[in-house]
Amino acid sequence: MENVLEWLEATAKRIPEKVAFTSETEEGSDVEVTFGEVYNLSRMIGSTIIKDNDTTPVGVFSKRAATTPVLFMACVYANRAYAPIDMALPEARIGKILDNLMPNVILVDKESFDSFAKLCKDIYPDKKWDVVVVDFEKGIISKYNDSSYESPSAENKLNEDLIDENLLQSVRNNAKPGDALYIIHTSGSSGRPKGVVTSHESLINYIDSYGDVMGIEESDRFGNQSPLDYIAAIRDIYLPFKYGASSYIIPKKYFMDPNALFTYLNDKKVTAVGWSVSALTVPLSLGAFEEVKLDTLRKICFSGSVMPCSALRVWQENLPDALFVNQYGPTEATASCTYYVVNHIVDESEVLPIGKAYDGYDVFLTELDCDSKVITDEDVEGQITVSGVSLAIGYYNDPDRTNENFVVREMSDGTTKRIYKTGDIGTIHNGMFEFHGRMDRQIKHMGHRVELDEVECAANSVENVTETCCIYKKEKESLILFYSGDATRRDLSLALRELIPGFMVPRKIIQLDKLPKLPNGKIDIKELEER
Amino acid sequence: METKETIIEILEEIRPDVDFENETSLVDGNVLESFDIVSLVSELSDEFDITIRPKDLVPENFNSVDAMVKLVNTLVEE
Repeated sequence: MENVLEWLEATAKRIPEKVAFTSETEEGSDVEVTFGEVYNLSRMIGSTIIKDNDTTPVGVFSKRAATTPVLFMACVYANRAYAPIDMALPEARIGKILDNLMPNVILVDKESFDSFAKLCKDIYPDKKWDVVVVDFEKGIISKYNDSSYESPSAENKLNEDLIDENLLQSVRNNAKPGDALYIIHTSGSSGRPKGVVTSHESLINYIDSYGDVMGIEESDRFGNQSPLDYIAAIRDIYLPFKYGASSYIIPKKYFMDPNALFTYLNDKKVTAVGWSVSALTVPLSLGAFEEVKLDTLRKICFSGSVMPCSALRVWQENLPDALFVNQYGPTEATASCTYYVVNHIVDESEVLPIGKAYDGYDVFLTELDCDSKVITDEDVEGQITVSGVSLAIGYYNDPDRTNENFVVREMSDGTTKRIYKTGDIGTIHNGMFEFHGRMDRQIKHMGHRVELDEVECAANSVENVTETCCIYKKEKESLILFYSGDATRRDLSLALRELIPGFMVPRKIIQLDKLPKLPNGKIDIKELEER
Repeated sequence: METKETIIEILEEIRPDVDFENETSLVDGNVLESFDIVSLVSELSDEFDITIRPKDLVPENFNSVDAMVKLVNTLVEE
């Protein structure tokens, strides 16, 4: 097993007619894509984006739809990493991601094309990249290579004539397990997003280990919650390829309406989910289980932040036969590196361990002030550190931050390792890892990684804002921004929405005459947290 | 009218960027996100001493300020 396409090809050959991905249109009808269609369409589109020996990444703009994995696999057939970008992000943010990628080729679905063309005219008026637009509904693929985006330079029907077997084969012959598969952008404290580059072999190792722990089978039906441009979506995309199971892409609006969400899961007979913690806690706070029960869900994995046991217990009581797994890990270690199978009904005051390393992962603690000193004693705090096959290749086009976070060290146990320092503090208790918070100001908010520094950095760039301090209230799951200056709260909120993704914009913005200070002149964060 | 003003105040605290007086597609138009709804439900419940049930969480009840006023008034009477 060297390439993720081997999974797709074996499954498409075995059960070509089975539906792999299902999504829902605005009008509420299903869009289905079979394994055979994923295989054929991605080779058609893939053939058109192979260009000489260009292996630079491809930016992918697409909507939350069953056809999006086809665009990803098209890039894989061209042996080019795909970098999914959410068209709903603010222009300035997309600009920063594109500045990092500087792609030669961009793949866009028809639904995202108008917004994409507008964005390019606004922020890259002179940029000439090859833009390939796919209209799945009409079965047309078009190319644009001038910056007006008015008329395509080429237009073809999506059919088998596009498949260039020789070209695909020669690209495949050159592909290696360590080649980049995808690039996923996450929050960076300086305001520049980091593009985490992950290889085929890392992804394969993770999917194999996860599938074993969750007991995934062909009959499983996954309910996808994660945005498709986000790391957690890799499970919902690749588990179907490996096992021949199906994924249902749940419309985002259902997560605000627990009855609609549960009815959807029951209608689609969803058996397994891998969701962010907040996707499980938010429906509870809106009264989930009170009026509609769940009939088919049996395998539940959660990750992204600390699961409150009071909420987990409600889930356990409502689904007594279900498997619950707590998972931990950063994007830089291919989604997750440790797991804990919850083997008892939890007590509300309990803190769940993050468990032990997945197969193929090397996870250990190092001393907080010395990253080469391994801690083996129990109950001693250290930095959670990861090594092994599932480490990312690095941050795309960013050697400084790659060298800072991914380092080669001669460890105190005599081994030499390439390690990733998570910035998370942990201990080992009874052989299980436990999570004890961050070394820096990164937080997890509604399943997303947020650098408080990045929010402040954006707020500081707004006109008439003098000083800012962003804090996170964990118990209320709310981001709060304090600021001084003449800008109104409304102005500041509006400006932030143009700079950073919506989930990073604080829902409470508080204006102060001046921010409280410590004797050394730094902002007194503790005082603000106690307000 | 008092209910309406209070609701607008709550909404503007959560999302100062939205023109609530004129929006009629807050949920269907993806203006409000799920964490906005969570904050909103908890604020409305506290402010008006009402219980918002899952069956009330349909888009029609949250698409506009007027719809929310209607929902709150119905729940207050219950």
